[in-house]
Amino acid sequence: MTLSASLNAAEQRRPSRFGRMLEDRLPYLIVAPAILILLLVGLFPLIYSLIVSFQRITMTENDTSFVGLLNYAELFRDTRLWASLGHTAIITAIALPLELLVGFLMAQLFIDRMPGRQIFVALLVLPTVISPIVAGATWRLMFDVRFGPIGQILSFIAGEPVRILWTVNPTYVYPAIIICEVWQWSPFMFLLLLAALSNVDQSQLEAAEIDGASYLRVLRAIVLPAIAPVIAVACLIRGLDLVRIFDIIWALTEGGPGSMTETISLYTYVQGFSQFETSYTAAISFLVIALLTLLTTLVLKRMELAR
Amino acid sequence: MKFRTFLGAAAVLALAAGSAPAADKDATDTAVEAAKKYAGTTISIVWEAGLQSLDPLNYSGPQWEKLTGIKVKVVEVPTDQMFTKIMQDFKSGAGAYDALNVIPSWMPDLARAGALEPLDKYVDKFGYRDELQDIAAAYRDNQMQYDGKIYGFPDDGDVMLLYYRKDIFEDPKMKDEFKAKFGYELAPPKDWKQFDEIGQFITDKMAPKVYGAGFFRTAPYPQYMFQERFRMEGGKFFNADTMKATVNGDVGLKVFKQMLAENKFMPPGVEQWNFVDNLAAFLQGTTAMTISWPPYGRWAAGYGSGEDALKWVPKSQVAGKVGYALTPLGRPELGVGFDLSVSATSKNKEAAYLFIQWLNSKKTSLERVQLPYTLRDPFRLSHYASEKYRALWPDAAAYLDNIKTSGEKGLLDLSLLQQDKYDEAMTKAISSLWAGEDPKAILDRMAQQFDAITEKVGIENQKAAYKVWAAKPGAYPQ
Repeated sequence: MTLSASLNAAEQRRPSRFGRMLEDRLPYLIVAPAILILLLVGLFPLIYSLIVSFQRITMTENDTSFVGLLNYAELFRDTRLWASLGHTAIITAIALPLELLVGFLMAQLFIDRMPGRQIFVALLVLPTVISPIVAGATWRLMFDVRFGPIGQILSFIAGEPVRILWTVNPTYVYPAIIICEVWQWSPFMFLLLLAALSNVDQSQLEAAEIDGASYLRVLRAIVLPAIAPVIAVACLIRGLDLVRIFDIIWALTEGGPGSMTETISLYTYVQGFSQFETSYTAAISFLVIALLTLLTTLVLKRMELAR
Repeated sequence: MKFRTFLGAAAVLALAAGSAPAADKDATDTAVEAAKKYAGTTISIVWEAGLQSLDPLNYSGPQWEKLTGIKVKVVEVPTDQMFTKIMQDFKSGAGAYDALNVIPSWMPDLARAGALEPLDKYVDKFGYRDELQDIAAAYRDNQMQYDGKIYGFPDDGDVMLLYYRKDIFEDPKMKDEFKAKFGYELAPPKDWKQFDEIGQFITDKMAPKVYGAGFFRTAPYPQYMFQERFRMEGGKFFNADTMKATVNGDVGLKVFKQMLAENKFMPPGVEQWNFVDNLAAFLQGTTAMTISWPPYGRWAAGYGSGEDALKWVPKSQVAGKVGYALTPLGRPELGVGFDLSVSATSKNKEAAYLFIQWLNSKKTSLERVQLPYTLRDPFRLSHYASEKYRALWPDAAAYLDNIKTSGEKGLLDLSLLQQDKYDEAMTKAISSLWAGEDPKAILDRMAQQFDAITEKVGIENQKAAYKVWAAKPGAYPQ
């Protein structure tokens, strides 16, 4: 075959302009239906909620007129809203480090091979598979002043009846929530950290041991830097979960006494489904979205994970 | 002549006989006859989830289908979601619900929004007005109408009753010691001072086996107790001219302080008690007095104890030992209740109406209030007088008499526009009271919240709603 004949054959095999265009855009066409569905399911409600947040919709009135930024202005005057954000921050700030610490200590305990390790790990992870509302209800019974085992154990230790109203007394209500939260979610941290610890370079650990490095030194210089990305992701996931905390508190205290343990999710629920303030609830949701986006971006940036 | 007289008399009798079915037919039969033309259709009714809905699921729904050929679809909804579901259906115009169970204090909001169908034309068309007169006045005059129109049939005789242990109150030793100490007979308390003295006395004598009293201290009951006591002590919720809240005055403070002090002679941890905790304590004989809705009385007597649906109710250890009385100061809170209504968006309005007329009618409702597994309480004069009901357990007659008297004297729940918001403020305030916060500070905050809600609803709108409510016979003690 001559060169010109080969070129002619190649020219004939080259796709037409339409074919090239199709070829270029085929990937987009293939993913387009999925994107469209995602947009419909995810973006449409978001946009619709945004529109609603500029209206005056309540369940008890028929007025749906636009009120501009009135609902957003109301957010700044709503002391209960800011208090509920404060309660959320308190719970997150205390529970998250505790879960991380307990999870890390448990992971340290189980990093070495031991008989029945897998069974223990499976048992320790059980709380995370329980629904939070069930966990809350169970702990409510545990804290019950008459029948709860916690009161009975404390009474046994003290040698006299100990009657703590865990879900009523302002001194104990936050500890009660945090105990329940840490009990349920430390195993999640444990599982992630156990996997991360198992992947720490053994040769580095052995070298450090030969050099006579102390446990704390090894932890600080080798282990923590190695598992830092996992810690960051675990904290991000749990942190976001804690900001959205609802079920456990609903089952334990319903936000009480008064509004003392009302978190932002509880407050949003109350506004939407008990006070029927549809538009105002939408405005609260956007405030929360904005705060969470800001927080997540800052955390990701800080941890250099944004890349 | 005799023959002609006979013919005349026969003609009159024939005419009377011909017209008799229409004239003598009661509301039950009228509803059934009229509904037969809708045979084959299905109507849906919103009903409180749980025990309450066993009535339409097990009894009235299947009966209605058998009688008329109309199927009944029961939509079970938890109480705290009923208002939302009804409004969502109305706002979307979906017409998913035909008949509704409505808490009377919601009626102003639902009626104003247009979610409820006015029932007057149906009441006249199907001759139900006479039977409505048999509904106890407390419910008929307070819970049936809004703005002069009928929007629902009162269908549940909710009212707070005082239950006490007769065996303790009639114990000669206790009686003598009590009289020697306080100078009056040990008997159901007439006021809250007596209640406190009796409660403390029994606790001192019998605790920890038996405490003087126990109450359901978590939402929603305490706010009904507050509403009752506050008004009976002379309190008014608002200044009718300005609509400024007046709950934080001396009367409110007195009631709050008394309520808090009473926890001291009640079992430890009473602040956490819910409906079932309190029921269990009373049925197991741990408390000598309590105040609650009528089902406590039936269950304490052991009525319905064999029912599968009531297995969660502790076995009564006090059957035959329970006395019934008016709450202290004698004007008990009606506390919640239910109306039967028709949804304005229903596509089967007449069929739905006929179903609720049949449910609410004298004959059917008498059967329904005797169902041991549901929570509907007697609400008609004919229920209170029913020989069958009065023979259900040895003290049933005294129980019915007390419900009747309590209902007659009952105080109406506060019912304004967006009432749920005021209720929530009261509930939160009482929860803070149990937590040990300063009562005056709590009341001041509650008043501020009331004012903020009123302002949001619109002072003039709310003033008009309050005026209508306050004019009702059960709103304030005369």
